[in-house]
Amino acid sequence: MAEGWRGRLLRVDLSTRTWAAEELPPALMANHLGGRGLGIALLRASGRHLLDPLDPGAPLIVAAGPLTGTAAPTASRTSLTALSPLTGTAFDANSGGPLGRRLKGAGYDALWFEGRSEAPVVLAVEPGAVRFLPAEGLWGLGNRATARALAAQEGPGWATATIGPAGETGSLLANVAQGSRFFGRGGLGASFGARGLKALLVRGDAPGAVADPDGFRFVVGECRKLLQAHPVTSKGLPQFGTSVLMKVMNAVGVLPARNFRDSQSALAEALSGEALADRLTVGAKGCPGCPIACGRRIRLDGEEVEGPEFETLWALGVDLGLGDLEAVARLNRLANDLGLDTVSAGSTVAAARELFDLGLLPWDPLAGGAEGVARRLEELARGEGPGAELRHGSARLAAAYGRPEVAMAVKGLELPAYDPRGCQGQGLAYATSNRGGCHLRAYLIAPEILATPKLVDRFATRGKGGLTIVAQNLNAAVDSLVLCRFTSFALGAEHYARLLAAAVGVDADGQGLLTVGERTYTLERLANLERGLTRADDTLPRRFLEEPLARGPSHGQVVALEPMLDEYYRFRGWDAAGRPTERKLRELGLAPRGGEG
Amino acid sequence: MYEQFRDLGRDLFLAGLITSHGGNMSVRLGDRLVITRRGAMLGRLQPGDLIETGLDRDDAMVTLASSELVVHRAIYHATSALAVVHTHPICATALSLVEDAVVPVDSEGSYLLHRVPVVAAAQTVGSREVAEVLPPALRNHRIALLRGHGAFAVGELLEEAYMVSSTLEASARILCQVRAFGENRLKEYRDGADRYDRW
Repeated sequence: MAEGWRGRLLRVDLSTRTWAAEELPPALMANHLGGRGLGIALLRASGRHLLDPLDPGAPLIVAAGPLTGTAAPTASRTSLTALSPLTGTAFDANSGGPLGRRLKGAGYDALWFEGRSEAPVVLAVEPGAVRFLPAEGLWGLGNRATARALAAQEGPGWATATIGPAGETGSLLANVAQGSRFFGRGGLGASFGARGLKALLVRGDAPGAVADPDGFRFVVGECRKLLQAHPVTSKGLPQFGTSVLMKVMNAVGVLPARNFRDSQSALAEALSGEALADRLTVGAKGCPGCPIACGRRIRLDGEEVEGPEFETLWALGVDLGLGDLEAVARLNRLANDLGLDTVSAGSTVAAARELFDLGLLPWDPLAGGAEGVARRLEELARGEGPGAELRHGSARLAAAYGRPEVAMAVKGLELPAYDPRGCQGQGLAYATSNRGGCHLRAYLIAPEILATPKLVDRFATRGKGGLTIVAQNLNAAVDSLVLCRFTSFALGAEHYARLLAAAVGVDADGQGLLTVGERTYTLERLANLERGLTRADDTLPRRFLEEPLARGPSHGQVVALEPMLDEYYRFRGWDAAGRPTERKLRELGLAPRGGEG
Repeated sequence: MYEQFRDLGRDLFLAGLITSHGGNMSVRLGDRLVITRRGAMLGRLQPGDLIETGLDRDDAMVTLASSELVVHRAIYHATSALAVVHTHPICATALSLVEDAVVPVDSEGSYLLHRVPVVAAAQTVGSREVAEVLPPALRNHRIALLRGHGAFAVGELLEEAYMVSSTLEASARILCQVRAFGENRLKEYRDGADRYDRW
């Protein structure tokens, strides 16, 4: 096996409490790299992608990448692939933190686990050993108390992934915590909980090596120069964190408020990155080896905690009409401890409020302001009280009241903080995201609003298919290297390819890397099609297609989705129904019915 | 889209990156592409100077399209480019006649380009030979030179391809000037500069 990979997969069965290591073929790693690409390749090749997401046989796959643990910028992230119980799609979540580095240190590129433990369990992985620790005493604890208890019990040196009460009770908005970072979206915390898995511990320190140390050092240096030269990665994110986006999005009229009934908010100033910096921030926080450090350390109620990100300030603040920065930061702290995806949780409360406004929901989810919302989040996570009605997200809630259009979600996943009526390409990116309403599969906000790489007309539709596809493919490749997306503000495919080539000692070029990304995206598409999704699922909430924005800089706009979707499919080499053609599959070296793993 | 072609074409001409009727540009739109007309003056583009045709399949419009259509199509097939700009930069083209790669020594060129490969073909205009030898050079570089002819740059947007075209010629001019001073007088200021020629 080339440098950069361990060439080994650890398979664990939580039902039988057995484990085994197996070889990962070099060709598999070369074709899929690691992380998200490896995860979907293993999942689809197993045929288990056809199972119910909460079936004990449906695996979860934790994966590192060929650059994980190296000096490459941001090489301290981890990928988690599974079927999402929220969206019913193949799903990859990605978190900063040491889990992937420890996994490689223990001798594995990936960990596959399946089954269901009869009693709550902690899975502990270390070099040459796997232990199943009792977790009854941890069940019911929040993420912070769980991590503290495990650190006290097992000592230092472990990477930890935990779930809070939301995952235990099976809320489909539950996430998986890696300290104060999260595998945030898609309800994968519920998948942990359904398997009786309270936490995953991984320890391993075996050093990694790269094939060409001098060459690798040079390429890393060049990449760092570019990151340092780009104002987003050297100024905006380090100084203000991701909430630097708040006032920018508000200014151009794409900042949703009141469940996307408005696209600007008077609360943007109070919840801005500048306000956070002035009032609460005590410093920046980065994942190990990250030169950007987008995280915030804030002081709140006398303790230092991780601060809210932009999407959270929006979902639990702007979208709910809550403008007290400290109160929103407390909601963030609470949601993190309960193990809730802040975007989906906030958006579901916003949808509930619209149902209340329509006279359908008999109780006001915003009653009591921020304190009332805190109670709803507790109820949502613990499955008790009125808020329990929200525990499976906005799509199920709105459907239950006969108004599915009130859910601001795509494929069941709540949308983030960008109204696509003010950025047509982002609308296409939402609709075609294979994990649902997500801005991270393709961030067309970059060219449409942030002028990266250059500014394009955000209201134009023609040409957006190509931009979306290139972004989706590049992001899939970066997720398979398991680096941070933020690097792509400054780096292109040719830079990532040179990092890969120097690390693993194989020929790699930028176009080859984009092809790996396309292969990954196509595999995810195939898995979703085989699960029954169709073109009809590549759509947006009716509001974006039929209700023009009433005011603001994006006034009068709706998303012209269908022509963009037609162009997108043709460009992808898919048929009119959104199915990859045999020619395209051959081009990517994929078998029509799996088996390429 | 026309306005973008018009403005960038004017800029290419005024910057001296093309001759009066030289150069061409295109963008890919799915399985279609829009390319400048054969013989169009890029500095004075009119709406009728933009020709839309198939990425794979010929239609009647190919008779009006730039003679470099075959090269543009080949680039789109071999790479994920969404835009191509072809220029005739004087200094960069001169360097392509004596070098196998142009390695900038100025700061901007070093950051953006590192190294620009040169490929060669006996028949340099609109030929299948160019369509074969040029695209591989663009798999890992944003711009490449065709010896004695000019540069082909790629990007997600026309403006990106224009930017690297402009950067290359500026770097080439600086490089030529430094050589006039005597290359052995160059005072190196960059970390890792000895590796740029392998980028």
